[in-house]
Amino acid sequence: MAHFEIRNLSFSYPGSSRGKALDNVNLTIERGEYLTVCGKSGSGKTTLLRHLKSVLAPHGKLTGEILFNGRPLQDADLRTQSAGIGYVMQNPDSQIVTDKVWHELAFGLESLGTDQKTIRLRVAEMASYFGIQGWFHRNVAELSGGQKQLLNLASIMAMQPEVLILDEPTSQLDPIAASDFLNTVRKINLELGTTIIITEHRLEDIFHASDRVALMEGGRITACDTPRRVGDRLKYGNNDMFAAMPAPVQIYYSLKDRLKTPGECPLTVREGRNWLSGIFAESEPTVTEIEKEEFGEIGVPAISVKEVWYRYEKNAPDVLRSTSLGVQKGSFHAIVGGNGTGKSTMLKAICGICKPYRGNILINGKKLEKYKDGELFSSNLAMLPQDARSIFVKKTVREDLEEMTAGGDEGEAAIAEVAEICDISHLLDTHPYDLSGGEQQRAALAKVLLTRPQILLMDEPTKGMDSFFKRKFAEIIGDLKSRGVTVLMVSHDVEFCAAYTDVVSMFFDGGIVTTDTPNSFFSRNSFYTTAANRMSRHIFANAINNEDVTELCIKNL
Amino acid sequence: MRFDSYHPAINFIYFATAIACTLAFNQPVFLAISFLCAFAYSVKLRGRKALPLNLALLPLMAAYTWWYSYYNHFGVTNLRTNFAGNWITLESVAAGAAISVAAAAVIMWMSCVFTVVSSDKVVYLLGRLSPKLSLFFSILLRMFPRCGRQLSRINTARRGIGRGAGQGSFPAKALNSVKILSALISWTLEEFVESSVSMRNRGYSLKGRTAFSIYRFDNRDRSLVVVMFICITLIIMAVMLDQTAMMFDPEIIINRITPVSAVFYGAYALLLVMPGALQIADEMRFRRNRKNILTNCK
Repeated sequence: MAHFEIRNLSFSYPGSSRGKALDNVNLTIERGEYLTVCGKSGSGKTTLLRHLKSVLAPHGKLTGEILFNGRPLQDADLRTQSAGIGYVMQNPDSQIVTDKVWHELAFGLESLGTDQKTIRLRVAEMASYFGIQGWFHRNVAELSGGQKQLLNLASIMAMQPEVLILDEPTSQLDPIAASDFLNTVRKINLELGTTIIITEHRLEDIFHASDRVALMEGGRITACDTPRRVGDRLKYGNNDMFAAMPAPVQIYYSLKDRLKTPGECPLTVREGRNWLSGIFAESEPTVTEIEKEEFGEIGVPAISVKEVWYRYEKNAPDVLRSTSLGVQKGSFHAIVGGNGTGKSTMLKAICGICKPYRGNILINGKKLEKYKDGELFSSNLAMLPQDARSIFVKKTVREDLEEMTAGGDEGEAAIAEVAEICDISHLLDTHPYDLSGGEQQRAALAKVLLTRPQILLMDEPTKGMDSFFKRKFAEIIGDLKSRGVTVLMVSHDVEFCAAYTDVVSMFFDGGIVTTDTPNSFFSRNSFYTTAANRMSRHIFANAINNEDVTELCIKNL
Repeated sequence: MRFDSYHPAINFIYFATAIACTLAFNQPVFLAISFLCAFAYSVKLRGRKALPLNLALLPLMAAYTWWYSYYNHFGVTNLRTNFAGNWITLESVAAGAAISVAAAAVIMWMSCVFTVVSSDKVVYLLGRLSPKLSLFFSILLRMFPRCGRQLSRINTARRGIGRGAGQGSFPAKALNSVKILSALISWTLEEFVESSVSMRNRGYSLKGRTAFSIYRFDNRDRSLVVVMFICITLIIMAVMLDQTAMMFDPEIIINRITPVSAVFYGAYALLLVMPGALQIADEMRFRRNRKNILTNCK
């Protein structure tokens, strides 16, 4: 008997003009299966997942049926569903209810009316399994995003669910915390046999672990098969989703037709390495390097940070310690580095939110403190914050954008222009909070662009964006660059930095450790680098993007 | 080692008794015991940080006594006549002093309460009354600091585009502040919606909610309860024998002090010094043990 069986499920939101959110969905999920649901934003993934738990199901017109353990889902009462079906949502912070870690772990069990003794044991068990005992007594507010999401997972698992549904659980996390989280999910699946249904846009961490991958397009499930077969289908169906596939899969398909014996598609970096080695087993490659630009000296700096020191409080440790940085005018400069190293603080120092106690910051050769507020933020400098939501203050995107203009025809023309650039023209009358993560990010960018900045600072702009949005986002940045705008970005997104930036700096321990072109930067690193580089570094010297690997392979065949 | 290592219920009984007795008793010996114990315990708990508050209370007490005697003219023993021709009586001075001592002692007790009783313990004690009430309190405890953080996050985001609360001309500053507040309100509502979804997701609306706590009531707690209740019983006897009250109007009347009174004073003092004394005893034992370990290691 299947665990979940979805039969001819169709659903439309009341008063929606977009048509059906789910269109005749048929899906069977077996007990203990690891099922990944992938698809573009707005393809109906979240709607489908929410229907699998009655209390979360959105209101609207529904036909078809969902069977849970062979019986209609609505026949399972609230108690059975609360405990049996675990659901982890996207935002780590807003899911947490109470103020203490231990209380949060016990919350679900309290609802079920479990007695003290049992809760004590279950909570102890969960804290030990998830490695939470070290911060068991802490306030929730002191936790990092990754810890919060792990706590959400643990407090769901405390109720011992038989199926675990996760809706883009890592979209707000940095890559290291995200892959830790997804590994824990994998561990739960392997060690406890819990059925996993997950949607994600970071496919590289879960694609290989999935038993099956379901592909959603426009509310329909167009494919549901093993990861390899789904990859195959995407490639030959010329599907946009192919861009979201892990690097080894993309490289494999870009070379497959040129190889005599292509072999099986690699899903992980390890498989990819072995597969590449197999290709060049008989003939050593002759060309092992792609041509690259050398990192030149900075000519005219738009931003120069000179030995800046900063701390948040008098007795706190220094966050910036003699930090120096030069950003070339008109370039796209990325700063990468771990969490809490002070990257965001440096951005805040550059736009004058944090005032350094030693050192100088020059914007276009003029000291920061010589600028008046009005001067600095009009047609000069602007920052896109990490949490895009915090920049919106109005009821619709349009009103929010109008706030930034002087009004009148000129203002409207300006809004139309940035809306066009950021591709949000169709979203202008939506409430900013109703947008998806990627849409919010672009609307925030539009708002920032209305100050007509010559220097744009961005803090983690690609967080929560899927691969199409990222590509579109890179196009927007490219467009700005061609207009002479300087862009400085702080990011965790190694793949994005490798593919689109001009210069990359590594930030560590309060200062810039190194600055170089993405190519030499990433090809010198062995951990902090792209999947394509990790997969090919034993054969090629400096291939960092999928295209680089493909290009070098073709040259050597 | 501190008093907060005991069960929250014991903390609650102790502070409730101490504060209620301090407020209710105006017999000078009892008042003096309350005041001295509150003073000593707050210094023991908070160290030097307690002194500024405690010492600042002394002139305030004197001022209150002066003010009280200046405006209340009951009593029969005239000390002197003020400029308006009213009597300043011994009785009103004594009554004013008694009230100010009690008030100062309560303030010092409250400073101890804030140090010892964490929000966790309040949540736990409310949970004994009603699980939903304690959950509500716990949600509020998280909500307030979170709103504060979000406010500064919104302000930072807005400063990055030159629209912060402290940027621009004066009207622009005011307008920006209003916008930031309204953004905070929409954010808060949005968060409430999401967290209520998360609560329903984990079966919040089910009947028969229990309240989990990390506290255990052990034998040490039990023995302390026994001692506390013996003291409290003796104090109640003192109340019934009118040993704890005194009258100021029209003249000062105190019940006779007998050898048995000393038992009541002892019981009251024992109850009030207990947490501080236990802490000191624990600390001494700890120091001795450590010394033994160190000498054994040599």
